[in-house]
Amino acid sequence: MSRIAVTNLTKVYGDDTIALDDVSFEIDEGEFVIVLGVSGSGKSTLLRCLSSLTSPTEGTIEIDGDEVTQTHDDIAMIFQQHNIIGQMTAYSNALSGSLSRSDFVESVFQLQDSAEKYRALEALETVGLLEEAQSKARNMSGGQQQRVGIARALVQEPRVMLADEPVASLDPGSSQQVMQYLLEASVDRDLTTMISLHEVNLARKFGERFIGLRDGKKVFDGYSEDFTIDIIDEIYGDIDIDGIVAEDGADTNETETGKRATKGGSAV
Amino acid sequence: MSEGAGTADRSDDRTRTDGGTADTAPRSETVSDDVQTRFDRIAKSRRRRWIGISAVVAVVGYMFINALQAVEWFDANLTQYLPTFAEALRDFFPFLVILDGFPFIWIDWSGFGQYWAFITEQNLIYDDEFFADATSLVDYPITLLTGPGGPLGVLGVAGETLAMGIAGTLMGLPFALLFGVLGSGRVTRFPFNFIFRGTMSAIRAIPALIWALIFVPLGGIGATTATLAIATDTIGNLGRLYTDELEEIEDGPIEAIETAGGDKRQVVTFGMLSQVSTPFIAWTLYVFEINVRIAVTLGIIGGGGLGQVLVVQEGLFAYTNMMATILVILVLIISVELFSQRLRARIRGDEPTGFIELLKGFPRRMAESALK
Repeated sequence: MSRIAVTNLTKVYGDDTIALDDVSFEIDEGEFVIVLGVSGSGKSTLLRCLSSLTSPTEGTIEIDGDEVTQTHDDIAMIFQQHNIIGQMTAYSNALSGSLSRSDFVESVFQLQDSAEKYRALEALETVGLLEEAQSKARNMSGGQQQRVGIARALVQEPRVMLADEPVASLDPGSSQQVMQYLLEASVDRDLTTMISLHEVNLARKFGERFIGLRDGKKVFDGYSEDFTIDIIDEIYGDIDIDGIVAEDGADTNETETGKRATKGGSAV
Repeated sequence: MSEGAGTADRSDDRTRTDGGTADTAPRSETVSDDVQTRFDRIAKSRRRRWIGISAVVAVVGYMFINALQAVEWFDANLTQYLPTFAEALRDFFPFLVILDGFPFIWIDWSGFGQYWAFITEQNLIYDDEFFADATSLVDYPITLLTGPGGPLGVLGVAGETLAMGIAGTLMGLPFALLFGVLGSGRVTRFPFNFIFRGTMSAIRAIPALIWALIFVPLGGIGATTATLAIATDTIGNLGRLYTDELEEIEDGPIEAIETAGGDKRQVVTFGMLSQVSTPFIAWTLYVFEINVRIAVTLGIIGGGGLGQVLVVQEGLFAYTNMMATILVILVLIISVELFSQRLRARIRGDEPTGFIELLKGFPRRMAESALK
């Protein structure tokens, strides 16, 4: 049984804005999947449906065979805007990943078991922020805040980790770093991970399996070896991909040829 | 305006179909028809405006005369009492000496002594009895902490006013928090949040002064009743500020706590309240400031503290003593505002308001909070 099974997922906003159009796929335990597409292609909607922050119009989402209908600590989410709590320290933010395992009074007065507290500190160590544990989150840099977000997700001990454009608001250096931490966390804990990105270079550098969305439809689902320039063109369409694909091993000639070739026919 | 222009257009058409009938404005031979038409139109719209303005002035003037009659202004004969008022002014400001020649006014520094004499005699700002039993240096800090009223007791009558503000704010605070949070549409589903919003609106609609009158049968005439009134008032005002602040919060952290598996109470506490903890503290300090000002005004209807001293001296026509009390009120309120605004600025990371701005805005804020 696959870890995540998405079947005929469709999401319509309002009367006629189709964000997701009949998307189906399966993901196995421990896979590191990158969802690609331009803005508005449905990446965020897909991840928000998976985390139950948005309910799908049609179709089902199953985790280990159980249908998911409401937010659950089994499915952790990392957000583009970090969404950590600025007034609290990095440690308290990480510890808030354990909310579902503690009752209200325990969580308000931080009376959780020491096991939970060690878990929070270990998660901060995983993202390289143990030294910053007692810093106020709002005083941290964007990259650090996002790493706190990853730590919070890890403390949930989820079965699935989702990250919606986790590096979109970060500078290139921090982006690389955050992606590295996400990859390490996923590999070390054999954690099924889905990350949406719009930047192809970053995706190619870290990705293993890719799902390409365009106008809400799945246009690609495969592994790095099949993730060719034609496929990128299929996902990104007629926009100038020279700006998106650059300086990354593959020579410019091939990029250009690929682009010309796809103009004629379909890639899939 | 547009209506006026439309009417002008219509009348213009009529003139044209009539073949250019006589208009009031003298027609000049040298200007074109278009210019003449525009000239007439402007003249007409200005006439109309003047008629409008005259009508408004007439109505306002009529209401003004009637209002003055209703307050018996014409029977009051103020000029008759001007000498009495001048005498009162001399009592208000005993340090001012009116001279016959230039520079007309002189300052007699000993006049300030009269203020000081009253302030110390009535323990307005310092209770000299407070440390009466202290014999050694060690006794002072102990008495300060354990004496009646603690540090507030030392401050004498001003301490009593301050105490009403502190106790009233803290008594109202938990209810303000409860009503404020439950009044937010993000916490309580519409329309049920309006039960709490409505309660707060009703409380706000009644000034603290009237709440004090309502509570007289419960607490008698005195500081206890005043404190109850301030606490009630705090629920309405502070609760409303809390609700407003909660409307501003971002969805992100709420979603984050939801996906972390938090229950409803955890989502409210961590996702919502944690976002507004700083503004909540700042608003609470702001309402405390208002409450100390209210405590002064409640003294005037018998609530104790500086306000009561003021009204008693007024009854005795002791104008110098009144002014001395007003000076103490000024010092107390400005101190509280300085403390609160500095603290708020620090919490929020803003630039603190300067002392001069505080002084300039004092009369307005005092007046506003009197009927808050």
